[in-house]
Amino acid sequence: MILYCLERVTRRYNDRLVLDIDRLEIESGRIHALLGPNGAGKTTLLNILGFLETPTTGRMSFCGKPVETSRAALLHLRRQVVLVDQHPIMFTTTVCGNIEFGLKIRGMERKARMRVVDEALETVGLRQFKHARAHELSGGETQRLALARALALAPSVLLCDEPTASVDAENQAVIAALLQAINASKGTTILFTTHDRLQAAALAQETLVLEKGRLTATTYENSYACTVFPGQNGRLRCTLHDQVEIPCELTLPAGFSERNSRVYIAPEKITLSRSVDRQSNHGVTGTVLLLMAEGEHIRVVVNIGVLMVVLLDRASYRHERPAIGETVSLQFAADAVTLLDRPS
Amino acid sequence: MSFFLESFVAACRLAWSLDPELLTIVRVSLSVSCLATAFAALVSIPAGFAIAHGRFPGKRIVITLLNTLLALPTVVIGLFVYVFISRRGIFGPLDLLYTQQAMIIGQFILVVPLITALTIAAISRVDERYRKTARTLGANAWQTALVVLREGRFGIAAAVISAFGRVISEIGISMMLGGNIKGFTRTMTTAMALEYDKGSFILAVALGLVLMALSLGINVLFNLIQGRSGR
Repeated sequence: MILYCLERVTRRYNDRLVLDIDRLEIESGRIHALLGPNGAGKTTLLNILGFLETPTTGRMSFCGKPVETSRAALLHLRRQVVLVDQHPIMFTTTVCGNIEFGLKIRGMERKARMRVVDEALETVGLRQFKHARAHELSGGETQRLALARALALAPSVLLCDEPTASVDAENQAVIAALLQAINASKGTTILFTTHDRLQAAALAQETLVLEKGRLTATTYENSYACTVFPGQNGRLRCTLHDQVEIPCELTLPAGFSERNSRVYIAPEKITLSRSVDRQSNHGVTGTVLLLMAEGEHIRVVVNIGVLMVVLLDRASYRHERPAIGETVSLQFAADAVTLLDRPS
Repeated sequence: MSFFLESFVAACRLAWSLDPELLTIVRVSLSVSCLATAFAALVSIPAGFAIAHGRFPGKRIVITLLNTLLALPTVVIGLFVYVFISRRGIFGPLDLLYTQQAMIIGQFILVVPLITALTIAAISRVDERYRKTARTLGANAWQTALVVLREGRFGIAAAVISAFGRVISEIGISMMLGGNIKGFTRTMTTAMALEYDKGSFILAVALGLVLMALSLGINVLFNLIQGRSGR
């Protein structure tokens, strides 16, 4: 079932366009990861999905019904969706008082409230802190308490803004396991933002990528700031982070001159070879830093001056067998390079 | 020096003996100041909250005006209220002049800008995430406002305590609108001024001691409440 549907949704702050989504559908009962660099509009999108902000323009529906912007309608929707902040803030009261808040304003009786509070604390492993002052908890415990505070309300949708960004490795694992358990046991739709592509791959069944307020088909990795300039034969050349020049097959628009842009290089369209041809104009060389199995592919991170991810299918990997520390050459397919800013 | 010491010892004895005249003066002072502060708080705290959270044209001007009013001399307020409540004023028929009600009105006007300005400052300092958290947990506008008020409660309490300190220690309004009538509108400050004029320091010093003890007591109470809340 489609839970959210956003069509031509934009959000502006004064004159600044921070979100511009052509179409987005979010399916219920699944875990969705929202990837993107800082300033991509992830938090703004979460606020809109949490009904804490309204879009400047566009249409939005929730559970198949158009979202109305009246106070009463938004309050009704907000009571089905809870957003957990990246740095959650606790009310100046006890752990129990924090979890109780949402239940109290829903008019739940004290006995039932206490039962729900105990269950929520049990789920996040903080039962022993029930009567502690919330401000005295550590960062990881605070993040778990924020999750408990949200879970106590049994929301249809749980939105988490970088839930593991500011906690240690142990708490990261605890929080990731919690999110999976909540989704599996209660069917809660979860959408979380992250910078960590691996975490997204490990946790989420769906991945969305935001780049400069727009949803992109690309995966957030292999996206670089670059300078593009006219090369020979009407082709563009591209320098990543002013360090590494890569050939690209993009055709030169009329009147195009040198400019700063962003470029995406599809990891599955890069060919890796152990035979290094330093004279070749069609590739670059680099050192293998990391090898990792990922489903049917092998993820290879190569340092070519910038870190570049190459996705090899298992057959190619068996053929080349690159080793960590080894120098390899990378060749780019004709359609591997995409300019994210269209040259004007 | 010995004169001061003698006055001080005699004042302590007077205060300790619970002199009826002294008690009446303290009672009038406390009732007028408490009522003026309470009424002002009822108006100023919601006003301060609305100004802090509201987005309206001229907000900066309103805040600047309030800050300017903080420096308003008590005699100016006394004069201003006198014009309205004197026999020839538009509220003359209400016979308010030289009553405790007149003093309460004057002191109310004195501390409304103070509590409002300090409430604005207290609410502005409350982290914006409290508001967002309350809303995402399902709070309506009223419940969200209560959360923000609750988180800013120490700043607001400090505003009310400052206002009480301002009214209990002021003299201009009490003198001009109360008239320093014994047993009726005589407050600690007006009595102290009168005793000073008479050259009789014992009651003046005793009242000064009571005033300082009150101030100390309120601040100790405030610190206790703050301490219990874990801040």
